[in-house]
Amino acid sequence: MSPEARKAFLTIAAVCVVAALGWASLFDSLPPAEFSLQSGSDVKTLDPARATGNIEGRILFEIFEGLLKKMPEGDPDPVNGLQAMTPQPGMAESYEVSNDNRRYTFKLRDGVRWTDGTPVTSYDFAWSWQRVLHPATASEYAFHLHAIPFAKAYNEGVVEVGDRVEVELWDRPGETPTGRGTHQNFPRGTILYGTLREIRKPPEPTAEQKKANPDAESEWTEQWLYVVDVAKLDQDGQVDWDGPTERQTFSANLQSPLADETTQRSHGVLVAFDKLGGLETPDPRTLIVNLTDPIPYFPNLVAFYTLFPVHRPTVEKYGSPMFTKAENIVTNGPFKLQLRRLRDRVRLVKNEDYYDADKVSLKSVDFLSMEGENTALNMYETGQLDWVTMPPETVREVLKDREDFYTAPQLSVYFYRLNVARPPLDNVLVRRAIAMAIDRVEIVEEVTKTGQIPATTIVPPGFAGYESAKGFEPNVARARELLAEAGYPGGRGIPRLTILYNTSEGHRSIAEVVQQQLQNNLNIAVELQNMEWGSFLDKVQQTDYQVARAGWIADYPDPNTFLDMWVTGGPQNNTNWSNAEFDKLIAEAARETDPQERMKILQRAEQIWVDELPAIPMYFYTSINIVKPYVRGFAPTAQDVHPLQLLSIDPSRR
Amino acid sequence: MSTEPRTLPADTAPPEPSPALSELAAQEQQLTLDRLLEESRQIRGTSLWSDAWRRLKRRRTAMISMVGLVVLVLLAVLTPLLPLQSPIDKDLKYRRLLPPELTPVTMGSREGLDFAEQSLVAELKRFNAEIAELQQQRNATTDSAERKRIDEIIAGRTKVEHPFNQLWNQLGPVSWTMCQMRVAMFGDYAIPSLFGTDKLGRDLLSRVFWGARVSLIVGVVATLVSLVIGVSYGAIAGYVGGWVDAVMMRIVDILYSIPFIFVVIFLITFLGEDSVKAWLQARGIEQITIFYFVIGAIYWLTMSRVVRGQVLSLRHEQFIEAARTIGASPLRIVFRHLVPNVLGVVIVYLTLTIPAVMLFEAFLSFLGLGVAPPDVSWGQLLNDGVEALSSVKLFWWVVVFPGAALAATLFALNFLGDGVRDALDPKMKNRD
Amino acid sequence: MRNLAGYLIRRTGWMLLTLWIVYTVSFILMRSVPGNPFSSERTVPAAIERQLRARYNLDATPTRQYIDYALGIVTRGDLGWSLRLEDYSVNQVLAEGFPVSASLAIFGLVFAVGLGIPAGVISAVYRGSLADVSMMAAAVLGIAVPNFVLASLAILLFVFGLAWFPAAGWGTFNQIVLPALCLGAPVAAYIARLTRAGMLEVLTREHVRTARAKGLSDQAVILKHVLPGAMLPVVSYLGPATAGVLTGSLVLEKIFALPGMGSHFINAALQRDYTLAMGMVLTYTVILFVMNSIVDISYAVIDPRVKLQ
Repeated sequence: MSPEARKAFLTIAAVCVVAALGWASLFDSLPPAEFSLQSGSDVKTLDPARATGNIEGRILFEIFEGLLKKMPEGDPDPVNGLQAMTPQPGMAESYEVSNDNRRYTFKLRDGVRWTDGTPVTSYDFAWSWQRVLHPATASEYAFHLHAIPFAKAYNEGVVEVGDRVEVELWDRPGETPTGRGTHQNFPRGTILYGTLREIRKPPEPTAEQKKANPDAESEWTEQWLYVVDVAKLDQDGQVDWDGPTERQTFSANLQSPLADETTQRSHGVLVAFDKLGGLETPDPRTLIVNLTDPIPYFPNLVAFYTLFPVHRPTVEKYGSPMFTKAENIVTNGPFKLQLRRLRDRVRLVKNEDYYDADKVSLKSVDFLSMEGENTALNMYETGQLDWVTMPPETVREVLKDREDFYTAPQLSVYFYRLNVARPPLDNVLVRRAIAMAIDRVEIVEEVTKTGQIPATTIVPPGFAGYESAKGFEPNVARARELLAEAGYPGGRGIPRLTILYNTSEGHRSIAEVVQQQLQNNLNIAVELQNMEWGSFLDKVQQTDYQVARAGWIADYPDPNTFLDMWVTGGPQNNTNWSNAEFDKLIAEAARETDPQERMKILQRAEQIWVDELPAIPMYFYTSINIVKPYVRGFAPTAQDVHPLQLLSIDPSRR
Repeated sequence: MSTEPRTLPADTAPPEPSPALSELAAQEQQLTLDRLLEESRQIRGTSLWSDAWRRLKRRRTAMISMVGLVVLVLLAVLTPLLPLQSPIDKDLKYRRLLPPELTPVTMGSREGLDFAEQSLVAELKRFNAEIAELQQQRNATTDSAERKRIDEIIAGRTKVEHPFNQLWNQLGPVSWTMCQMRVAMFGDYAIPSLFGTDKLGRDLLSRVFWGARVSLIVGVVATLVSLVIGVSYGAIAGYVGGWVDAVMMRIVDILYSIPFIFVVIFLITFLGEDSVKAWLQARGIEQITIFYFVIGAIYWLTMSRVVRGQVLSLRHEQFIEAARTIGASPLRIVFRHLVPNVLGVVIVYLTLTIPAVMLFEAFLSFLGLGVAPPDVSWGQLLNDGVEALSSVKLFWWVVVFPGAALAATLFALNFLGDGVRDALDPKMKNRD
Repeated sequence: MRNLAGYLIRRTGWMLLTLWIVYTVSFILMRSVPGNPFSSERTVPAAIERQLRARYNLDATPTRQYIDYALGIVTRGDLGWSLRLEDYSVNQVLAEGFPVSASLAIFGLVFAVGLGIPAGVISAVYRGSLADVSMMAAAVLGIAVPNFVLASLAILLFVFGLAWFPAAGWGTFNQIVLPALCLGAPVAAYIARLTRAGMLEVLTREHVRTARAKGLSDQAVILKHVLPGAMLPVVSYLGPATAGVLTGSLVLEKIFALPGMGSHFINAALQRDYTLAMGMVLTYTVILFVMNSIVDISYAVIDPRVKLQ
């Protein structure tokens, strides 16, 4: 390389460095929002149908609004300061319930609008709920709607001969008759309605074929041929079920040996949920919901984000998930989405068109993504943050006594799953001995430290009308006796136990204390094994563990959410535990119409659980928040819900 | 082990005396030759290593560092002998996050332990008395079945109910004996919590000591593994050169980019399989051994690059050519002549690898590979310590002491490394 | 210049080959680890998981997935949708994270070079002096103290003690200073040590003695004759170091709440976000290759004897 070239090269390098520095100094700095809060890790999605977590929920509750919304009822409890939150009119100005609790009539407010100015109608709700239920939406909380007739069958894609069905032809936007399907299930392809007459199936692949080709099963189901008597629609779009029909055949795979040239390609055949009267929309302001089971907590579900409406034109125009982008999304809540930056923030601004906008005080809110607990506390202490939702464990004791610290019991439980198929835990005496030898008071007072309640049952206190089963009595002496009875006097001969937990400071501390307690009290040697989240879940779901840490938060405010997970083979069971009597009681409770009687049945089921102990309950969680004293309107609540529209800032104290 | 270019290659023969010279001259010549040979023998005596050692001894910082490191290793090895508190006993109620203090602690005094007279010695006495009683029972009976039954009980109780199990985690036979000696020597006395206690009420001083055992082994073994792989690989690539070098280095490039985190997760799963576990157990391989190898296998890449670069610049030097002319095999050239000459660089790089490895161990523990609680390492102590560095209340001792232990070790390693490098470097010979 | 062009073409060829191998190996590795991207504490019903698999083409045979995904990257530069950050495509994630990581890296590196080289030069020139000893001790400290400890201490000192900087966040110059310093500190320490070692090496060479004998001033000798030669090890270290710094630091991003790319790498792996993890792996490979190429070119620029091969 010639000296000139070298010189030129050096000059270029110098220019590059200066340019880079210049570029790096250009920040698009954003003025801070009026109110900032800690939002944990990034939100997974802003699609209410797909969202599952607390963090997502917190934002969705602000930008969307359901027929009902959780708002404070009455004053805070004078004893513990808890504010009761109940479902109250949101998009609906009122609702009526039939005497048998099976028919809800919601009346929408007049003049409620989306952020694009179009009115929010009952059709939006019916459409959004159907979208939640559509199998391709893959909504994890779709079961919230399963009490509506045909909703479960629609959601799970179950059809039987004789059912009134809908057939979605293979003509969604962007699809060709022979190409691959698009997963944009809304807008939908052409929908035909009719009565299913026959399902023709080619020979089922043998077990060996299925083993050799994991796709064999789904390839086979794609070849099914559906014979449908397609009905006509009248002018109003109603299906004339009993009128003249035309027999047509449909299959997802036209190469199916059963298909002929008249067979049409379709996405599948589902029960015609929207035409079978589960949801009625007599006019744009009325939504009637019919239920098969009189579930007492239905209003709570309506106030939950899964049942919030989404804006149909936007979803159909941009598709999912593009409709959730800040520049596309259309919402109906007290706030609207202005900006969303990964690992940085979600900025909401006040929605001036919200019907209750006069009562919303905050102008802009930042949900700051941050995973470091100390980081959040540091930002709070230096005034960059007004609300910390996850204070660090080490200093909780110090924080506990401050006036800006709020704690409230939560409907959730921390427990250790026991794999009852593996010795020695297959012996109920051993399970009980271990459960009794753990000192929960020590754990909640010295480890978790923020008022958690020691748990000896699985259902947390706080469900109206439910009295928990009688828990076991922690008692070390009795535990030793039980262990001796089980054939391990003094802990001799008992194999090592391994506690599996997902990597986290908090879980490790608890596991270490349990390790010491079992060693001290029962001479049981315990090994700890941590794993990162993905592997941990895999192990638990394969029930390939002895003892595994777990937590459960109420999906809806009813004890059933803590109990029906333990039924034989249930997807959330994961302990190999099975009890016929328990299963029977849970099924009975679902059918029971008398609320009081139902609670009694559930209590009996819980008693069986406590006697059998497929898991060791540890404690019931508390929610912890630190909020600046100048924030007005913040009150601890049992579900840890704090609508931002209730909050305001007292400038004199800031 | 003379390998330096300055020393005579062992296979060269002394020159033949010339027959044309007179007797006297020949005699004189012979004398000179003898003297020369004698001299050269003496020269051969001062090999690279003794030479380097001599020079290293002159570097005070390096020698202090070395002594420090030796002391550290000794302390780590003898930790169970020291009158430290239990590294795992958690006094949650009274001793959480205590700042450094000078009040001595009685072993076994925590209520939850339920020891006789709240002391380890008394409890041991009680336990031994019970065992002795059983022993007596055994000797008293004549029924062999009964004897066998009591024998089993004794064995089971010694294994399961021994008070040591409450204070130390899974002691090996050597450590067990050392702990017994410790109790014999110091009784219930334990050094006060000079480093304070952690958030679960454990003594940090003893945790730093017990953690040293883990961290030092991880650091040394993993670094050695990376050294062996990296040096061989790099030296071969550099010496052979050409397309072999190109391919070998591209492989290194590729390995740099492979997400090791998946490799580790994959390994954990693989090792967790029951069949693999059984296979390993049958061969007496512990999971921790594999863990050292994993770290070493991840850290050899940079080492191989460094070595290759050095070898590339050395391979046309005269002493290599000389070795080649006398017919030394390539392997011999690489490992006898090239490798010793890149040791300086390698050592400096080693002193940088050890700390990285110690911290990496903490990250692997996060993924689930490594020492499991209640055992601990410096990396994990530091990780925990940083959590306690809060603006609201400063538990400084939780991070300062493990941090200082790590930093001091690394300081010593660095100074020693620099010293060794300089001592090994022929160019530095007359510079001090 | 011709050999430069040839070199670049060859390097690009190697890079494509490397990318392909890395892609293949990562692909196999990701599919062989347990867990799946859709699992959560509440077990996802099988029917829903099937839908999700179909949505992300994970229901196809592995070979099919391998080819489809590669085709998407090659033909459209499309790394697919993230499986965990559902509303984002991998390209969008990278586009949001990279500028942040890049500007942080630029500040960190400028600081590291600006501090490390002078420190190394000074301690080599005044070998054995107090300045040398204290600076080298500081450099060892810089390497010995892990940067999560350094960052936490820096926050206590500069944020709570002196109140010079905000605690965390991103968007203003003030907010970048501390993270850049913490990111640059270990790099600066390495550079200082390498510079010093390189300087000592070069100082003994013939041409330096000649230059001195010619009567050149000390300053001129050091700047013109010693420093360039001493820079070689520094430059070769800077290549991979820059790549490492550019792809972000998980720990610093967490402590300072920075929206960089670093945490995506680990998070994506832990959450089995195959697409995002693959995107990060490939990005890292490209950056590493580019940086190493720049290093090789710089070698040729600094040292006339080195030929690009």
